[in-house]
Amino acid sequence: MNTSTAPKQAPPSPLAPTAFEIPRPFKTKLENGLEVVLFENSRLPLVSYRLAFYQGDINDPPGKTGLTSAIASMITEGTENYTSKQLAEKVERLGASLNAHSSDDFTIVSASSLSLYGTEVLDLLAEVTLRPSFPENELDLYRRNTVEHLRFQRSQSSFLAGEQAARLIYGDHPYAVASPQPSDVEALERDTLKAFHAEAYIPNNAILIAVGDISREEFLKEVEEQFGGWQQGSRAANEFPTPPVREKRTITIVDRVGSAQSNIVLGNTAIDRTSADYFPALVMNQVLGAGASSRVFMNLREEKGYTYGAYTRLNTKRLAGDIEATAEVRNEVTGDSLKEFFYELERIRNEDVREDEIADAKSFLTGVFPIRAETQEGLTNLIVNQHLYGLPADYLETYRDKIDAVSIAEVRAAAEKYVRPAEMAIVVVGDEKEILDQVKPFADEVEIYDTEGNKK
Amino acid sequence: MPALFNLQPLELIDYTIANGLRVVLNPDHAIPVVSIAVYYNVGSRNEREGRTGFAHLFEHMMFQGSANVPKAGHFQHIMKAGGTMNGTTSSERTNYYETLPANQLPLGLWLESDRMRSLAVTQENLDNQRDAVKEEKRLRYDNQPYGQIFDLINEMIYKNFANSHSTIGSMEHLDAATVEDVQEFFRIYYAPNNAVLVLSGAFEVDEAKQLIETYFGDIASQPLPAELDVTEPPEVAATYREWEDKLAPFPAFLIGWKIPQRRTPEFYALYLAGKILYDGESSRLYQKLVKGEESVIQLFGFTDERRGPSSIFIGAIPKPEKDLSQIREIISEEIRDLAAHGPSSEEMEKLENQLINDAVRMRQSSMSRAQAIAEFTLYDGDPELVNRELEELLAVTPEQIRHAVGTFINTDNRALLDVVPAGRG
Repeated sequence: MNTSTAPKQAPPSPLAPTAFEIPRPFKTKLENGLEVVLFENSRLPLVSYRLAFYQGDINDPPGKTGLTSAIASMITEGTENYTSKQLAEKVERLGASLNAHSSDDFTIVSASSLSLYGTEVLDLLAEVTLRPSFPENELDLYRRNTVEHLRFQRSQSSFLAGEQAARLIYGDHPYAVASPQPSDVEALERDTLKAFHAEAYIPNNAILIAVGDISREEFLKEVEEQFGGWQQGSRAANEFPTPPVREKRTITIVDRVGSAQSNIVLGNTAIDRTSADYFPALVMNQVLGAGASSRVFMNLREEKGYTYGAYTRLNTKRLAGDIEATAEVRNEVTGDSLKEFFYELERIRNEDVREDEIADAKSFLTGVFPIRAETQEGLTNLIVNQHLYGLPADYLETYRDKIDAVSIAEVRAAAEKYVRPAEMAIVVVGDEKEILDQVKPFADEVEIYDTEGNKK
Repeated sequence: MPALFNLQPLELIDYTIANGLRVVLNPDHAIPVVSIAVYYNVGSRNEREGRTGFAHLFEHMMFQGSANVPKAGHFQHIMKAGGTMNGTTSSERTNYYETLPANQLPLGLWLESDRMRSLAVTQENLDNQRDAVKEEKRLRYDNQPYGQIFDLINEMIYKNFANSHSTIGSMEHLDAATVEDVQEFFRIYYAPNNAVLVLSGAFEVDEAKQLIETYFGDIASQPLPAELDVTEPPEVAATYREWEDKLAPFPAFLIGWKIPQRRTPEFYALYLAGKILYDGESSRLYQKLVKGEESVIQLFGFTDERRGPSSIFIGAIPKPEKDLSQIREIISEEIRDLAAHGPSSEEMEKLENQLINDAVRMRQSSMSRAQAIAEFTLYDGDPELVNRELEELLAVTPEQIRHAVGTFINTDNRALLDVVPAGRG
């Protein structure tokens, strides 16, 4: 035990660096337009597949919110050849996993298993993707369970905060919809699911990515067999309104009676995933709040002890994006926490970041890259994101160089452009009677919602 | 095992340096990263009465600086090197770990050795981390619907204070912790001879051994703490409790049983029985309750593995209009069936494939390898168990599962916690 501030020992120097390269995958395309990407890697006897559609929740037809997500959930609940129970048993008896989900921009059917069962699992992936039957009883169960889940998530402050932040940041753009309403789900009909599945699950709007201990020849043969006869289709591109331009700060409180903490989110629009400012914004966000040595964490947690964790995050989607600052703080320091957040949000705009800060941010972002690729799931996610967002073929090879090239001036410019505290939406989920007076001074306008999403 | 399957054992080099620090090296050059795991043989079970939550509060203090590392410098050194890190506390142990680019191995070892040798403790840092821990408690437990039910049921299952109290502790006990408590805890438990150091990933064995000697070799050993008594009578402490949860939107219940300690044949059999009952969409209870009866919103279950008496849980959040006792009766029926007839051959085949799959996936990342090795070394004194556990699990017979379910779960000796939503707004 030592409490003195005696002469310090410097940390040791690193050893010689080891190179790490991700080789480029093999790519081909079937005649029906299905893109196929194969990344052979025999380190362990595992395989991962992702069949992804460039089609997500924002592509729900008007008045049919929740349809894309419902289809993704339902394709594993019965097919022309198997019941829901038979599918679950087949998959789990192989020790494998098979599931589908949709996000704002994409729908992804995922499967993984021991390579020993790679072909069987790929066949099951094809079965649920191409031949789902949407049984009426399963759809009925889905509707009722989903309605209960939607009710349940209203008890969680993180959901309520995210719901309001999305509404305030994205306005009329469908990214504003955090979740369907119970009435949307109750209105879903089997025929609608069937028809939209036929329209949206088409090979010329999809990409199949396979990673792992796979023989190229056998894989391509199986892909041709399973997916070669899949009929092309056509999808009209959707047009979306642009997210609103915010002109001033606003406060939205969600009154969650009995809250032991306030869940704070501050946000404004920022960049989409393919923006030319992506790398400067990423480095800027790292200095500001992405990690446990970033500014907002050091301030709100390590200096002030207001919270278990305070962060900023850069959400980059296909068509737009936002930056958000978040923390869950004890009720009585809700106002003080806003003050410290705004101090940091102003400072990153008004002063250059220090040499050592940008160097640390860059070495973190470049250093964790191989750690992210250590597991097959991690490596697969890197490859999937690269392809779904249409990033360049050399993206993974040049990622670290692009991080290293970011300058202090570019970080400052990114902060000035994308961190806009004067016009941020402030969302606080907490006990209104304990926090209203603390929050009021931070903007002229205060609106109050209940946990059901209704304005009070 | 399926005939085509051949899982290579992990290479392990196991030795102890002069001050008693047990070291295990697992060289694997597939990816140029290295993980370091330091496991101290102290957890919330070692806390004394009046100081619940202390082991975890202490874990936070390990990030608050040491002779050559300033407050929060640990985070910063690791992150600027491109690494990831954390620490966690359970009833059994406190662990600290980092994954780094392979060439930063010296930095990771230096950081871990500096705090093992010379933790710096100030009143200011203690107050600050006490606040952070209180926010962690509010975030994870007090402000979450159903957030406190696992701590509550442990108090119902276990009679021995070492086992029954929560790891997060109480606000009052956190307030009572002093700088002297921190210093005493450090001296007793954070000695090299009360810890295990594991390296997994891309490193040269001779170089790693030399670095470990350089950084850890001169840290003084300490008298080992007294053996802890975690024994329990077979009976649970309480069979029923009703809990009013002001954030819960729906009623729920949780059932917990007291079962034999980890790595016994009975524990393995019950772990597998649990998978049959509640793990995955083909599990018996998912098919019965979520699908067949359509009566629950969420079903969950797991085993809590400890070096002493352990536990297994099954819980559900039923749909609002459903009868809770009827759902519990269905759970009891499935348990009775498993106790009478054992698992089917299809279920055994599923378990086999899932266990092999889990074992292969554990081997993917240097951190999951390091953690598995560290647990077997600390708890069992035998790192080679990481290579043998799969065989031990695969050797469990349907008859052993049937018998263990009959003995330990098909019984009224269990704790039932009913969660009642208590008025919002």
